[in-house]
Order: sequence, then structure tokens, then C-alpha cells
Amino acid sequence: MLNKIIMTVMLLLLSIASTNAAIKQSKGDFEDKFRQLDEVLPTPNVYRNAAGEPGHQYWQQQVDYQIKARLDEHKRRIEATETITYKNNSPDTLKYLWLQLDQNIFRNDSMAAMSSNFGGIGDRAPAARAGSMNKPARLSLDHLRRQQFVDDNELGYEIKNISNKSGKALKHVIVGTNMRIDLPIPLKPGKTTTFTIDFAFNIVEEDAVSARSGYEHFPDDEREGGNDIFLLAQWFPRLHSYTDYEAWTNKEFIGRGEFTLEFGDYEVELTVPADHIVSSTGALQNPKQVLSTTQRKRLKEAQNAKRIVFVVTEQEALENEKAGTDKQKTWKFSAENVRDFAWASSRKFLWDARGHQQGGNDQPLVMAMSFYPKEGGDLWKKYSTEAIIQTLEVYSRFSFDYPYPVAQSVNGPVGGMEYPMITFNGPRTELQDDGSRTYSQAEKRFLIGVVIHEVGHIYFPMIVNSDERQWTWMDEGLNSFLDGIAGREWDPTVPWGVEPRDIVGYMKGSVQVPIMTQSDSVLKLGPNGYTKPAVALNILRETILGRELFDFAFKEYAQRWKYKRPTPSDFFRTMEEASGVDLDWFWRGWFYTTDHVDISLDTIYKLRLDTKDPDIDFSRQRQEELNKPMSLTDERNKAEGNKLWVERFPDITDFYDENDRFTVTNKERNKYQKFLKKLEPWERTTLERAIKEDKNYYVLEFSNKGGLVMPIILDLSFEDGSTETQYIPAEIWRRSPKAVKRLIITDKNKVLASVSIDPRWETADVDVHNNHYPRKIIPSRIEAYKKKKSTKKVSRDIMQDIKTELKTEDDDETEAPEKDG
Amino acid sequence: MFKFALRLLVRSLAIIVTSAMFFSFMVHAHQQKIAISTVFFNAKTLNIEVMHRFNIHDAEHAVRKIFGKDADIIDSATTQQQFSAYVKQRFAMHNQVGEILPLTLVGHELDGKHFWVYQETAQTIELQNLTVRHNALRDLWPSQVNTINIEGKGKLQTLTFSDSVELLTVEF
Repeated sequence: MLNKIIMTVMLLLLSIASTNAAIKQSKGDFEDKFRQLDEVLPTPNVYRNAAGEPGHQYWQQQVDYQIKARLDEHKRRIEATETITYKNNSPDTLKYLWLQLDQNIFRNDSMAAMSSNFGGIGDRAPAARAGSMNKPARLSLDHLRRQQFVDDNELGYEIKNISNKSGKALKHVIVGTNMRIDLPIPLKPGKTTTFTIDFAFNIVEEDAVSARSGYEHFPDDEREGGNDIFLLAQWFPRLHSYTDYEAWTNKEFIGRGEFTLEFGDYEVELTVPADHIVSSTGALQNPKQVLSTTQRKRLKEAQNAKRIVFVVTEQEALENEKAGTDKQKTWKFSAENVRDFAWASSRKFLWDARGHQQGGNDQPLVMAMSFYPKEGGDLWKKYSTEAIIQTLEVYSRFSFDYPYPVAQSVNGPVGGMEYPMITFNGPRTELQDDGSRTYSQAEKRFLIGVVIHEVGHIYFPMIVNSDERQWTWMDEGLNSFLDGIAGREWDPTVPWGVEPRDIVGYMKGSVQVPIMTQSDSVLKLGPNGYTKPAVALNILRETILGRELFDFAFKEYAQRWKYKRPTPSDFFRTMEEASGVDLDWFWRGWFYTTDHVDISLDTIYKLRLDTKDPDIDFSRQRQEELNKPMSLTDERNKAEGNKLWVERFPDITDFYDENDRFTVTNKERNKYQKFLKKLEPWERTTLERAIKEDKNYYVLEFSNKGGLVMPIILDLSFEDGSTETQYIPAEIWRRSPKAVKRLIITDKNKVLASVSIDPRWETADVDVHNNHYPRKIIPSRIEAYKKKKSTKKVSRDIMQDIKTELKTEDDDETEAPEKDG
Repeated sequence: MFKFALRLLVRSLAIIVTSAMFFSFMVHAHQQKIAISTVFFNAKTLNIEVMHRFNIHDAEHAVRKIFGKDADIIDSATTQQQFSAYVKQRFAMHNQVGEILPLTLVGHELDGKHFWVYQETAQTIELQNLTVRHNALRDLWPSQVNTINIEGKGKLQTLTFSDSVELLTVEF
């Protein structure tokens, strides 16, 4: 187990290759796939112990915010003042503090803008393509729109004033998306400092720049000039984390690696146009000032309602979006123990709510609420709030009770993004020419899926506060694993993904990086940071540990790190420590390498036990000889009627014509008796029993073609039609990772007919051709498709065809789309 | 000199028209913008089989961008055929002398959360190398990454179409 050995020289999170520099196989090509991870993981210490738990001196900083912000709807601008109270719980004295200025990523001189590879992965602008020798370069209008937006609008933070409690200005230096504030007096351990920042920024148009927040304009609304939905996130200067494992986590924000933040309490006052509805992190503190009596009554009613209650109905929202006002209202929110704060504001919002009575002591009632414009339509009315509640039910079972008073889903221009208590989700209905709003089945799945995924993020990483900038997989992988569970419990006929078979195409390829790669450097983020770790956890749960051990360990991880800051080693260690199973080989293979799974069943041969009794063994050997096919020459000679010499001269014979070479003499019998006499009593009993039972002995030879060691799951089929499953733990590969043999013993009448490995496709084996012995002819997808097509009726698109209207005699215009079948 | 250079620049900067995107890059679980194709040298049938696998969520949004808001990859046979034809136009393989291999469109099918498009061609001359172009969806989204695994002819080789890569070649 990885926590059993503490090494004196420890290397922090090095790759396998450089690890080998410390402990090296310097002769031969043996690779220890089960080498313990101690040399790779950081040394356990008083802050993070060897069990993967917060250590006895675990600390984290506390940062509280009081923010007063005003949304200027006409200028699409935020002007605000924040007072930050920073408590230094670390053992270090801090001379300066680092803050995140995420809005600065939109500046033309940001590292993100300056380092974008034209047409490359990092180029967030849509559809650009660099030219090649004989192809023109392309710039899409979207790309130009972004460029023009960035040119026309002053983007990034305007930091106006930073001062301490006594009003003294604090020296600060802005470095890209980071800002250092120098403290007049170094902040000692246990001490607190308070300072105020006045700031403002122009809100980006999300559709123009592609961001995680921003405004969306609806020019076609009845109100002159249209309306906007404002999504505000990463909207105030936030403290960088100061940690025991990295000190200041002030790596520049380039775009992909998201955030890690400190927990704290927030008091936020948001001044917006008086006809706006605000959805926000936190609990509303002044409902009497901002909500009507009716709205407050409906909210109350929603607490125990069986189905959603509209706090703002569609009709009310439609009326609301027609008008507009110059008046303003201030919404006050309070949030305890959150790591961030986001909000949304619009006069377009419908608002529905339903209380989720989860019980328990922490937060018995959670208000699940959705905010969306008319464009969300029935899709949102039916499924958004219900999907929130489904998420809370499933995720809490795997972790802890949802600890906050509200869980919200807001529709706006962002496809899907998460913040504490609030998520932004993009799917919508389509307006048809007849004025109705419809949505496709895919859009429905998208909405349910994205709400589950983003609300799931409120648990990981908003409460189990992993470092997203370093490790995408720690929140996306865990969350994709759980959203797959929640989705399948919603409706298993919807393909939710995270099945082992979903990742084999990616894993067998040669272009990939290990999961343990910093977020901004990952190639193919989707399969790397989401699907592969989710599949790995699925395999761990369903195949390697089993549900009981896995669920216990996973819940232990969630509870240990609730409101705290885990690192990958804490996850790896907890899962091992709590399940009681050494998983170092699993983490090593799946998270630290780019190997894939391909186990081949190369051959099977059958053995029979020699009895040592010459009267039995010699006659068996004679029979074996007789079973060999006759020589062709002999057979043809016979057919031609050639007489043999021995047949022509039958009078010339001797002893050897009567007795073949398998003839037993007393010499052998005596030798057998002598052999029996020499046996110990237990040896004799064992031999006698084995001879009596005369079992079948089969040797199965496997080779590991993919490199990743995994359990071998055998499906044995016998000649009598029966089948049996056997599970061989991955540890069979520990001393010979390239090829192993396995002896299988069956009763005399259980004759093995064929064997398959991984019959349920649960190990992500990339090549099923070599999984069968004897080999099977497995048609390629195209061959299978052609065969399927020929069975006609099954390929009818009944779903489409059923819409066909019955033709009447005077109606020959009706058309039904035809599909070949 | 300056004029000449400018003219060249203008000529090499073509502009394509696309509409605004509502779906941002965060929703990887839903829109991954990743397709995986297999080019399989089938020893049994002596065909080169091309199997393109698209995520339904990617294809769903793509078809609405390309064919209009009524396009429906799940329920409309017409959209499925249109999308197959679109993929066919954007995928090509050339042999060592630059000839295009004549791929026939075998068909398409919806399988779980994936949409598959099938093409094939006979293995005629012995290929020393294969040059592939795979622009499907890459003309819509810069972040679209198309991966191709070439199987059944020696060791598996992977081609990745990302950034501004247009053509990739594998040697056999």
C-alpha cells in the first residue's frame, strides 16, 4: 500500500519517465506495473496525511467579501465596491496578497490573446483556419465579430482604488490576469486584514467573445431596443488560493484551466433595474423590498409543492419584457461558506421553484429554482427544476447532504457553467413559423444532461474544492462519473456515456497525454479530462472494487474534503485506504500513462494427469498413437491393393509382431510399486484421488498487447451447454506484465468448448477479435451494417413515418419523407 | 512592392459566413466537438472501410447550423442523409501518386449517442502511404478535433486533425 513506506527522498508528482531516474530498471526490459506510487506522490505531512485525509494541522485561508454592485443596463457595465476580509490561517507570514482579475483575459494584451495559435486549439474565436500551401486562410465572421467587439469596447477591469481600513492606498501591481497587493504590515499567522477595492468593467457580449458569462441581447423583443439577459461570473477581483502544496496558486488564467478559490462568507447588494428578476448565489435577505406579496406567497407555497410553482409566470414575464423602467432596486444576498459568487439578472425571466425536502440536520429544505426567458419554453418548464432535484438526490447519496439553501438553473447565452448554488445552462426551444416552440429529442437530453452536470459541479468542485487550474479531471472526471449515474437513474434508455466502450477509440490511438496533465496543456480535453477518468471510476466501481467498497470509499473522500481542498494524491490515497484494496497499479496505468487495455487469449491447451501406473498410462499412450491420422502413403498403398511384406510371409514372425512398444512388463510394474512405496501417505492419497477424479486440466495463455494491466474476466462455455464466469484479479500480471498463463481445472464431464474474455465489455478492451478462443469471425461495423440493412423492416424510421398523414382522394400533395430500408 | 503584397494577402484571406454560436466550450459532457473515425483494411473483404463516429450532440448542433433550424439528426431521415453527404464531401484519401480513392457511401446509422457514417472502397494497388483529409465539422468549429485510427495494415497509426492541419499522411 502506498502509505506504508515513507521514503526519505520524495519526488513531487513527476512523470513515470523521470521517476525512473530515481529507481531504475537498468538491465532487461521488465516493467513493474505494480510499483507502488510512493515515489510519485508527494510525501504525506501534517497538512495531508498518508491516508489521504486532511492532516492534523490542515489549514486553509478564509476570505469574506462584502460587495455593492450596480448594473448599468444601458452601458452594460458593472460598477462596484468590495470590502475583503482576509484571514491568514497558514503558518506563514504574508507580505503580499495575489488576486485574480479574470476580466482581464478579454484584453487585447492578455496572455490568452497574445498566445493564441491562429486556428489552433487555444483559439476560442470560432471557425478560423490558418492557410496552407495551396489553401487560403479563413477567418469567419464570428472571428471578426469578436475582434471588432474587443476593439470597440474597453474590456478588462478598471481598478480605481485599493485602500485599507484607515483609507490608506495600498500599492498594487497588475500582472495580466493577476494582481499583487502589497500589505503595509506583513500579515502574521492567525491575523486578519481588511481592504477595499473600487472597480468597474464593461460586460462582454457572450455570443461575440465566447466566455463563461456575459450578456445576451434579444433585439426582437417588443420593448424598443430589445432586452438583455445578464450572466455575471468571475465579475469581482477574487483572492487567489494560498495553499500548503503550491503556496499562491497564481498561474495565469489562459482560459481552459478554470479556478481554485478560498471559502468565505459573502454579503452582496446588487442594484439592478427595478423590473429585473435576479438569481444569485446565496439566500435573498430582503424579499419584502424586491418581491411582490404574490411572489412571496408563491415562493412559500413552492416549499412543499409536489410540482413546480411559478413565482413569475410566463404571462407576467412577457408583460415585463415589453416595458422597461428607469427605477432601480437593490437585491441583498447572503452566502455562507462558498468559494465563489455569481448571479444573473433580466426582465425576461420566468421563475419557477419547488422545494426539495431532503431532511437531515444541515439543510432540510433546499429550494430548487429555474430562471429562463420565454425562449426556454416548455423544455425548461418541464425539466430544468426536476433535473436539479434529481441531481441533489443522487449526488447526496454519494457524498453528503446538499448544504446550501438554494440550487438554481439559469438559461442564458452560456452553454453550461457552474458556480455555488447557481448554474448557467444553454439549451432552448426553437420558434416555428406557426408561432409554436418545439425542441428536438437531442435538445431535451442536452438540457437534462447539462443541468445534472452543472448542478453536480456544485458538489465537485464548489464544495469539494479541487484545483481546476491544475487538474481538470478532479472535478470534470468525478462529476462526469456521477452525472452518468444520475442520468441512468433518470432514464437508462438515454445513452449517457461513461461506458467503457465509449473510450476505446480514443485510448487505442497514439495521440493523447496522461490524465495527470495540467489543464491548459491537455490535448483532447473531452476524452482526457471527462470521459476517460469517468470510465475509469465506473470500472473501479462495477468491476474492480464492487459497489459496496467503492461507494464507501468515494463517500469517504467527499466527506473528508467537504469545504476543503483535495489534491490528486488525496483522492488516490483515500480510495485505497477506505476500500482496503491496493490500487496503485490502477492509478498508475489509467492516470499516469497513455497505455490502453488489450488482453489477448492466445491459446488453450488441455493436459491429462499421468497416473504413473504403467497399465493405465501405456495404454493411453497407445491410444494417442492410434488416434493420429493414418499416413497418406500407407492408405494409398492399401487402396492400390499392394500386399505388405508381413502379409506375404506370415510364417516369419517373432515376439515383436505380437507385442508393440507400449507393452507393459513386470519391470515397469515393479518400478511403479517402488514409486508408490516412496510416496508419503498424503502424497499417495492426493495422487489416488486425482487419478480417480480424472479431471480436465486446461492451460490458458494470455498476452497483454495494450500495456494496461487489468483483471481478466473469463466466460467459459462447456460442451454440455453450461457456462461459467471467472474473475482473475489484475495482480496476475505483477511479475510478468506481458504474458501470463492460467490453469483451469474442471470435472471430468465438464469439457471446455470455448472461452471468451471480457464478455460484458467492462474493461475497455480495445480489440475484441483476440478475446475469443477459438477465434470468432467478428464482422466489422460496415459488414454488420450491411447485414442489418438487408433484414429490412428493422431499419424503418417508424418514428418519422408515423407522422405521415393518411392521404385522402382529394389530397395528393401530402408527402412523407421516404427512407430506404 | 507594398501593393503587390497587400493584394496577395487579400486573396489569401477568404471569409466564410457562419452564424453565432450559443454553445460554449464548457459543455464537454454534451458537445465534445470530437469525432473518431476508423480506416480499416478488412482482410476478409479486401475493402478499405471508413467508419466515422460523431457524437449526437455535436451532429445535432452542426446540422442546424448547416441545414437550418428544422434539421434533426435523430428523427429526420432527410437530415441524416444530408449529414452523410456533408461528411462524404469533406473526407478524402489519396494514394502515393496523389489519386483520390473512390469511396462509396455505404450508409449511416444512429447508435446510442453516436451517429455513424460508413464509406468503403476496394483495396486495389498496394498502398505505400495514405494521405487523408477530414474537414467534417472543422469548417464549423475551430475546436473540432477529428481523430482517425488506421487499423489492419501494420501497427495502428493515429492521425489527429486539429489546429489548422488540412492533410495528414501515414506511411505503411
